[in-house]
Amino acid sequence: MSPFDIRIETPRLILRPPVAADFDAWAELAADEDVMRTLGGVQLRPVAWRSFLFVVGGWQILGFSPFSVVEKSSGRWIGRVGPLYPEGWPAREVGWTLARSAWGKGYASEAAAAAIDFAFDHLGWDEVVHCIEDHNLASQRVATRMGARRLREARLPPPFDTPVVLWGQSREEWAARRKEVA
Amino acid sequence: MQKDIRIETERLVLRLPRIEDFERYAELHADEEAARHIGGALLRAPAWRKFLQMPGAWMVQGYAMFSVVDKASGLWIGQAGAWQPEGWPGTEVGWAFHRSAWGKGYAMEAAVAAIDWVFDELGWSEVIHSIAPENHASQALAQRLGSVNRGPGKLPPPHEDVRIDIWGQSREAWQARRAVRGKA
Repeated sequence: MSPFDIRIETPRLILRPPVAADFDAWAELAADEDVMRTLGGVQLRPVAWRSFLFVVGGWQILGFSPFSVVEKSSGRWIGRVGPLYPEGWPAREVGWTLARSAWGKGYASEAAAAAIDFAFDHLGWDEVVHCIEDHNLASQRVATRMGARRLREARLPPPFDTPVVLWGQSREEWAARRKEVA
Repeated sequence: MQKDIRIETERLVLRLPRIEDFERYAELHADEEAARHIGGALLRAPAWRKFLQMPGAWMVQGYAMFSVVDKASGLWIGQAGAWQPEGWPGTEVGWAFHRSAWGKGYAMEAAVAAIDWVFDELGWSEVIHSIAPENHASQALAQRLGSVNRGPGKLPPPHEDVRIDIWGQSREAWQARRAVRGKA
């Protein structure tokens, strides 16, 4: 099966690899200062296109990369959530970035949980981390809800070169937790 | 969306990018001189982000630059082909080659195959090449391809400060040249 056929459903969301039609909403997110503050700042449309290609290229070359997240009820693209481990990254990450209009609804947690399942079950990872800047409290709350612990400090590679805190958990911790929830 | 595209020329194979191409791609991008006109030298981590753009473009646009492999050695020697990211000034066929492959006519051989491909498979009506005024090697190649300098152009961010001329030619000009090439 091509990785581009992967499709995950949660109660309110669909996670699937990005398609060309996602780009308008992607570029809108990339132009939003509040969203992009912890992601290297806003990006003009042609620059956002490069990031978009980078994420799609990950699916093509590695067979994993962040998913596009679509709200079932509206069909809207609301963000990108999923596995990433680019060159120089401190560890295997499941990350999340949602458009501002999708904040405050528990969507990040809903999508992140599905993506963490995917990372452990489908990719066979032993550990999942989340690289979070020290002042990004919203993402720390999502990480906590996932059961992640504060693990250690690290630095993102260039072009970011920013200090982050790694939150995360092992496959066993996640499996134990999932049993509890189920 | 995309099949397994593969073009053979006399000495080269043009194919879709693969993960094993990255080592040589990173070498090219670590080489100040080789990378000068393709956005500048890059460390390994940013080179990886850039590397994924081509396979990403193949997926969402159905075209991008090919990886170019030397048949004799099996080595990745560069990339050449279609490139039109968001905001680009036209339908480009571009190229970038590892220093070990310079001076052998490989860029010409790959560019000819790539231009044939964009006219045949993508139906483009013209090709352009964005070339810095001081990039004499690429200007010489553009000339050999039959393209002419149409004057200064403008690239979108993050390359908005790079000075370039737009070289190019129409589909008709290329097909006329190709007919002659066919008879040669």
